[in-house]
Amino acid sequence: MAEIVAAFGVPHAPNYPALVAKQGPDCAPAKHFAEIATRLRAAAPDVLIIYTDDHFNTFFLDNFPIFAIGIADRTSGPNDQTPMPSYSVGVEASLAIHLRARAIAAGFDISLAQDFHLDHSIMVPLHFLTPKMSIPIVPIFINGLAPPLPSSQRCFALGEAVADAIRDWPARKRVAVMGSGSFSLEIGGPRIPPGERACTPDPDWVTRVQDHLMQADVAALVEEATPARMARAGNIGGELLNWIAMLGAVGDRKPIFIAPEADHGHAYAAWRLD
Amino acid sequence: MSIYAVNKLCRDALHDLAFRAALQRDAKSAIAPLALTDQERAALLAGDVAWLYEHGAHPFLLAYLTRWELFGLSVARYSERIRTAREPAMEQHK
Repeated sequence: MAEIVAAFGVPHAPNYPALVAKQGPDCAPAKHFAEIATRLRAAAPDVLIIYTDDHFNTFFLDNFPIFAIGIADRTSGPNDQTPMPSYSVGVEASLAIHLRARAIAAGFDISLAQDFHLDHSIMVPLHFLTPKMSIPIVPIFINGLAPPLPSSQRCFALGEAVADAIRDWPARKRVAVMGSGSFSLEIGGPRIPPGERACTPDPDWVTRVQDHLMQADVAALVEEATPARMARAGNIGGELLNWIAMLGAVGDRKPIFIAPEADHGHAYAAWRLD
Repeated sequence: MSIYAVNKLCRDALHDLAFRAALQRDAKSAIAPLALTDQERAALLAGDVAWLYEHGAHPFLLAYLTRWELFGLSVARYSERIRTAREPAMEQHK
């Protein structure tokens, strides 16, 4: 049977690849991603499951799923003109098929994507963490941007169901799980300051989320992450749901690494689960 | 339901280079074929992002317009206007 060996949470700011290329390995995002990359290598997963929110690039409002899973042999990205290299990455289709079947059996009506490309929300983390694209992925999409969003309870339960399904996967493989996104971010909405496109409306919420992660108080985080609370954290605040789904594999374990960038509305974190 | 066409326009401005160039050249002609209401058309041409937001346009997509200052929307002008917007009613998320 497969084993869940690690979990990670990361941001996916689309300006980070260009920023790090310009500022070098000593800038904060470069250092934080390097910390996560070190722990990813140490965990040596064979597959990386990534919870993310598509930004109207893989899907659009003609048909925008609450939950979806990508099942293919390969995919590529970024497909949203993010200034960064383009990559092709393998998809662990056999695990994705297994997860989809098990999720549906557990009551999660998860949509199927077989012909898809990925935006910055997956490609930015992979650019920093696995630039050789050496680890196949399984992308699981959660609607974090187009209200009404799925509830935090529902996303956590999905994460638990996926974790159960991973442990039942009859392949002797090491699996890691990742959540990608911000806790507080407003893009193009009424709270942006004059002369800006985006801002972090609620750094206090970032600190509170981080405190819950450090204390392994997932129940409190799930309870507090109501639609209204996440909306107060910004119109992109629903990306926290990607982390909450990831936490479905973590349970009550504390992270081995966590670093906030509260002013930017997000954090980096790692858990060892084996 | 035609706010969908506004959101689609914003997405197409990112992905469809020919459409973007047409918007830069002559916005009124470029949006003429789109299935927009008169109010949506007027709001777009006036760069009235507050009205568009209040009527269901997604801010993540609307903000694309500033990248090329489409409809006269510099970041300064966009931010000044969107800051006056009220929250859309839930029924506008369609």
